[in-house]
Amino acid sequence: MLKGVHQKLEPQQTPAFFVRGASPFSRMVFFCALSIIIMATDARLNYLSQLRQGFIAALHPLEMIAKAPSNWVRDVNRYFSAHNQLVQENYALKQQAFEHQVRLQRLTTIEAENTHLRSLLNGDIPIQPKAILGEISHTGRDPFSLVVVVNRGSQHNVKAGQAVADSKGVIGQITRVFPFSSEVTLITDKGLSIPIQIERNQLRAIAFGEGNNTLDIPYLPANVDIKVGDKLVTSGIDGVYPSGLAVAKVTKILQNPESPFAKIISTPVSEVSNHLQLLILELPQIKEAALPVTTTIATDANATVTPTSVVKPATKSPASANEAKPNAPN
Amino acid sequence: MRPTSLVAVIITLLIALICQLFPWAGQGVILRPDFMLVVMLYWLLRAPNLCNVGTAWIAGILVDLATGSLLGQHALSFTLTAYIGLSYQRRLVLFSPWQIAGYVFGLLMFERLLMLFLKLFEGNSFPGWAYFLPVISGLILWHIMIMLFGALTRPKHK
Repeated sequence: MLKGVHQKLEPQQTPAFFVRGASPFSRMVFFCALSIIIMATDARLNYLSQLRQGFIAALHPLEMIAKAPSNWVRDVNRYFSAHNQLVQENYALKQQAFEHQVRLQRLTTIEAENTHLRSLLNGDIPIQPKAILGEISHTGRDPFSLVVVVNRGSQHNVKAGQAVADSKGVIGQITRVFPFSSEVTLITDKGLSIPIQIERNQLRAIAFGEGNNTLDIPYLPANVDIKVGDKLVTSGIDGVYPSGLAVAKVTKILQNPESPFAKIISTPVSEVSNHLQLLILELPQIKEAALPVTTTIATDANATVTPTSVVKPATKSPASANEAKPNAPN
Repeated sequence: MRPTSLVAVIITLLIALICQLFPWAGQGVILRPDFMLVVMLYWLLRAPNLCNVGTAWIAGILVDLATGSLLGQHALSFTLTAYIGLSYQRRLVLFSPWQIAGYVFGLLMFERLLMLFLKLFEGNSFPGWAYFLPVISGLILWHIMIMLFGALTRPKHK
């Protein structure tokens, strides 16, 4: 009789073994083992990145569907944004462009002079990196890593390892590339470090992300010549980040008498959360390709002598204001 | 309880995946429920003949691939959560809706703790108490699922 009640309450279930299949416990053991094997493979062996790329590419249509409503809202908002505001913005941008052009004119002469002086000294000629303009499509879905996803991928010639900057300074580095998007790990992420230089005294060091919007410069002696307010710029000795990009500003120096090292905390100058556009900088060429690089520099210099062409408002990185290509050159 | 079909399970899981892919920003990231987990748990507790530990594993792998975390992390935590969920599944019809909600709360909390454990093991630091907010929003989503697809405790007596 009890059995009758039981079956009435659960009409879908038959207690027979063969209908239920393997017991939940054996299934659990099997799938746990499988996921642990996959975790080990993914963490240590790098076999699965292809699979991940393929899956993300296959997911792209779904992602488009997911993004559609917010895109519509944005489009409608744009449509109704006041004419007055646009005029004002246009005016401000024109003024800014004009100022930039004036500065650029000086920059080209200074650059030419610099190149000339360096060639006299038999030094290496600094390279202006090319850049791809990208837009942040969303922040990372994993709360543990500081990541943003950009709408440029391997289809737009983005490669893993490229540096990413905005108009204020370095944002981070491309860590994963998918066909239509790529993942930018921010410099504040725990897993990322960046070679820097103190702008004031050219002291070289390496800054490590702390995972909470600050950078740490460890292993420097307690009496090191760094002050609060010092600007950190990329040193360019790693072959990833072009030299001279702003990275962070020193905000706090903690002196612990028990420790031989100073605890130097700095906050990044880039404003990832404030705007969407960012620049993906091309990896600097390695020395081996010295000859072709000099030729491209020559043509670039010719091209930049006349900076009268339209200055795009979004491409205002200090490193490559006139080199930026809004779309992938491809 | 109305009979359910495999198609409904697959479609709702797909919709959950789309919700997971939705570009959440600002406060939304902190509050975002684990769509896949809640939808999967709903079908698991309601129709374990259609959605079992294997489905949970597949859902977890999909979440892993979509979020870009270490492959297999969510799969492992979803599998274990599904197993624990299944172990009391047959008794749930006797519970009141609030008791079931409490049970789901426990399961969601367990999954979060397991995920936290795995992440700490990987070398991350504790992200703060807001990390557990998705459990609350997950419960809200659970009630939405019940409103849409019917409660677990409503046997049709004729």
